[in-house]
Amino acid sequence: MSIDSYRFLDFVSRQVMKAWAAREHAGVIPFTKLVKPLCECTVALVSTAGIARNDDRPFDQEGERRNPWWGDPSFRVIPLGTTESHVRLYHMHIDPRFGQADLDVVLPMRRLTELAQEGVVRQPAASHYSIMGYILEPDVLINETAPAIGEHMRAGGVDVAALVPA
Amino acid sequence: MIPDLTRAVGVPRLAGISYPLSRPLGNPHDSDGQRAVLRALLEVLPRATEPDTYVELPFVWPESPARARNASKDIPAAPIVELVTRKPWLLANLYSGRIPEHEDLLSAK
Repeated sequence: MSIDSYRFLDFVSRQVMKAWAAREHAGVIPFTKLVKPLCECTVALVSTAGIARNDDRPFDQEGERRNPWWGDPSFRVIPLGTTESHVRLYHMHIDPRFGQADLDVVLPMRRLTELAQEGVVRQPAASHYSIMGYILEPDVLINETAPAIGEHMRAGGVDVAALVPA
Repeated sequence: MIPDLTRAVGVPRLAGISYPLSRPLGNPHDSDGQRAVLRALLEVLPRATEPDTYVELPFVWPESPARARNASKDIPAAPIVELVTRKPWLLANLYSGRIPEHEDLLSAK
């Protein structure tokens, strides 16, 4: 692997991330082949930046402040056309100012629309999604949140999804 | 970002990029750069024929790591960082993945 995963992290974060990576066991990895050309696919994006629309429920920062070992495992729907002026980024382990200045830094819906206009993909999905990326115990995320997002995508005719970590 | 960690948990397809946290697509208002990254990411999809496909994207961050870190040094520390700064012995829990259940270890106060 030529990419140094840790070059942008401070020393302590680097050591903690390396230890977590070393402990993980991937197990059986699910895989579904792409069965049609990318240019015929409806594409949804998922950001881990903890994005919620201003008219939606915020991610629970207070809960994490009370128990710093906990992270909000819920998700928010971000409709296509939502811009940085309609949202707030609630992830407390990243610098939210970049995505707040330009939402495409973390959830590139406008860039996806441009790629559809270029014919790279068929169309952006009507809905995109955000979760909060700091979750040490991922049971709820895996067993409840991810299936709920998948169901929402299926109902929206999504062919492929790209997860964008923040 | 951190492809080591993402790959370790097991994902069908992964595109690694050597960009800092908080800016996975690039800098704000760099539409051309963001579009190039997204296009490269999506093009991994038709290329991947088996699980654990890993592709390294060729983009180079325009600043040194130190400079990229400095850009975010004035944001408030995350609650877990505050906690282990005040109670450094809890770093061992974080490092080893032992999430405390005892009430004393939970509170940031």
